[in-house]
Amino acid sequence: MEWLLSFIQSWFTELTGLVSQGSKRVFVGYLLSAAIIAVVWLMWQRRVKFLSALGWLFQRNLWWSSSSRSDYQLMVLNQAVMLLLSPLLLSKLALATALFYGLNDWITRPLWSLEISVFWASVIFTSCLFVVDDASRYYLHRLMHRWPALWAFHRVHHTAQSLTPFTVLRTHPIEGVLFGLRNAIVQGLMIGLFVFLLGDRVTLLSLLGANVFTAVFNLLGANLRHSPVPMSYGKVLESWLISPAQHQIHHSQASQHWDRNFGVVMAVWDRLGNTLEYGSNTQQLIYGLPDQTPNEHQLVILYWQPFKNCWRCFQRNKPGTLSRTQQNRHNK
Amino acid sequence: MNKTLLSIVVATSIALSAQTHAAVYANFPITVKNYTGDKTHSESFAGQMARHNLHNSVKKLISKGAGLEQTSDYFSGKLAGRAIIDPVSKDGFPVLQTQIDELSGGKNLSGKAYKGLITGMPGGLTGAELLALMVDKAAQTESGFDPLTGYDYTQLISKFTMGAVFYNQAVDVYLDEKLAADTKPNSEAYKDGAAYTGKEHVWDEAFGYFGAPAHTLELTAEDVYLIAKQSPKGFSKADYNGDGKVSLITEMAYAHAYYAAGFDKGGKTQYLHTIVQAFLDGRNLISSANGEALTDAQRSELIDYAKVIKVQWQRIIAEAVFKYAGSVYGDIEKLETIIEANGDAGKAYRSYVKHWGELKGFALALEVGGVNLGETGVKLNRLLGYSPVLLGNTQVVALVGDEFVQSSSVSLAEYRVHMIKLQKLMIDAFGVEARSKDVTANLAELVDALGDALAAEND
Repeated sequence: MEWLLSFIQSWFTELTGLVSQGSKRVFVGYLLSAAIIAVVWLMWQRRVKFLSALGWLFQRNLWWSSSSRSDYQLMVLNQAVMLLLSPLLLSKLALATALFYGLNDWITRPLWSLEISVFWASVIFTSCLFVVDDASRYYLHRLMHRWPALWAFHRVHHTAQSLTPFTVLRTHPIEGVLFGLRNAIVQGLMIGLFVFLLGDRVTLLSLLGANVFTAVFNLLGANLRHSPVPMSYGKVLESWLISPAQHQIHHSQASQHWDRNFGVVMAVWDRLGNTLEYGSNTQQLIYGLPDQTPNEHQLVILYWQPFKNCWRCFQRNKPGTLSRTQQNRHNK
Repeated sequence: MNKTLLSIVVATSIALSAQTHAAVYANFPITVKNYTGDKTHSESFAGQMARHNLHNSVKKLISKGAGLEQTSDYFSGKLAGRAIIDPVSKDGFPVLQTQIDELSGGKNLSGKAYKGLITGMPGGLTGAELLALMVDKAAQTESGFDPLTGYDYTQLISKFTMGAVFYNQAVDVYLDEKLAADTKPNSEAYKDGAAYTGKEHVWDEAFGYFGAPAHTLELTAEDVYLIAKQSPKGFSKADYNGDGKVSLITEMAYAHAYYAAGFDKGGKTQYLHTIVQAFLDGRNLISSANGEALTDAQRSELIDYAKVIKVQWQRIIAEAVFKYAGSVYGDIEKLETIIEANGDAGKAYRSYVKHWGELKGFALALEVGGVNLGETGVKLNRLLGYSPVLLGNTQVVALVGDEFVQSSSVSLAEYRVHMIKLQKLMIDAFGVEARSKDVTANLAELVDALGDALAAEND
């Protein structure tokens, strides 16, 4: 009983943390900045008045659609599931410590590292961490689309038919575990490596409790990626940074948009991987999957169906076992 | 009605008085049969406190560049009339006694130093021989610092004395062989005419060597730390009897108790209070035997208290090794940076040598706790070596006659890595938890700063 009460308390803390902590995408400050940017953009691009822009942004059939409602359900339940799974996840600290000891065993720290000041040590660490983290997210995302067994779970995210900032939390827990694993590996290895090289001069340059680059990205409207606002940065900037419009293309139901724009912040990975698609301020897209059934916003289906689909991947010639990438090739 | 009220008041006073008594290592009853002297309580550890003051004084003398004769007076001499060099009264922290004899006469440090072999230094010397050699060597240096070998004798002698005398006497003699049933039995006075029984005094002597104020359980770790530092802020905490002066027998903090307080005030450990509580529980147990021989059950319980003290005390020393390995690691980093920039390394080298002396002194102390360290001891000695690695990548490898001989060694950078391994060894072998100056602390700080990924945020 005591355990249950403590668990419920932790669950509640995790949920409130989603909107109260600057390290989370749906932090209230980021939602607010996104709303301001969206209103200004709509008034400027669509020539609408302030109240009309607000009304369009907060329309009921967007925020209370069956798709959005399932986002909220997943958001709430996932926090409990992740909390239960957390002791099983790879420890970032254990990995960082093992690498730190290992590197000290295997090699001698280069002397040039001594010349790097505290300021530059922190700038280099924070930047490298951001770039490597972003690259690894691109790669994992691409694998999610390419491997049938992973697509079975990532598909949940793509069944969203209306996009709101909370769609970022429309994730199957197995996918959440994979994200946690990626996060632990990348951050654990980077911390171990940089502390080996630069010792206690390394600090994280942070803003609102998050990596400063991530916080700036979030403050500049990252939440509009999952929104009906097709804000494009123009081709020049979109060659470097993924705009909201570009990520919305990633969610498009149209087959020509499949497997495009896997990137989170930087567009260079998509350029290198030939998966970049430019956005447009006037684009009109339908979201979701062409083969999804109406019951795919039901919580039980969202949780259970991926396991069935995944299992089918290991059975020969069963329908529905193709990954997004395989379906794309098939269409072409 | 009045009678009832009176009984409640009396009962409460007795309970409170018992509680006060239980929290302070003082006023234990005299249980020796047929005692005819004029003492009113049985605890006695003034001899140990004299040795703490001799130790403090030796440390001060060496650091001030005193000659061999004067240092020896305190280290191995037993003469009357020796003034206490440290601690002395300071503004805001007056102390009661000024002479060693006011604590206990005829005491020295060398007579109680460990007579077993020390493997962490060259020459196959016993603990007592090594201390004597170092005292002799210290007198040949300026302020106890020998830049050629990298030995800071002030620190080496101080930290190793704490081990080879206080720790060894307490855990390997008093809390070990002297707890045997037929040694210093509780049914007899410790010596003719004494106000304490054999076991009472054995236990008191071990308590004295730990160096904690008698009223430690009424203090915080921070208080005890301030008392040992003679901080005016700690005065009111130290002056338990309110006589306006700090008694160097019952109210002062010394040696390992001071280090325990230093670690505990970080909030992760409770070495100081755990040890003092075990001492107090053990002493109450002995007193409760009322001058009769301890039963097997009582002796077994007493040995359990002794085990708690031994384990915790060893861990305090391991924590100190951990801490100073971290300090040496930081010193080497500074030295590497200065050398790389062709700067003046004099000050950084002095700091490195000082911290190494503290590190080595504590590491040697781990050898004298009556426990065979086995592989841990070998690793400890190999990682640390017989001296710090000097700037030309040399290290002391032998003792020929009374001269330390150097030879080529690992590089300074490799020696820095040895400090990381030393810290890990202290965690793995002794389970240290306070972990001051943890060279991996930044790993945990960065992990905390980056937070977790439990939100299951998608792309």
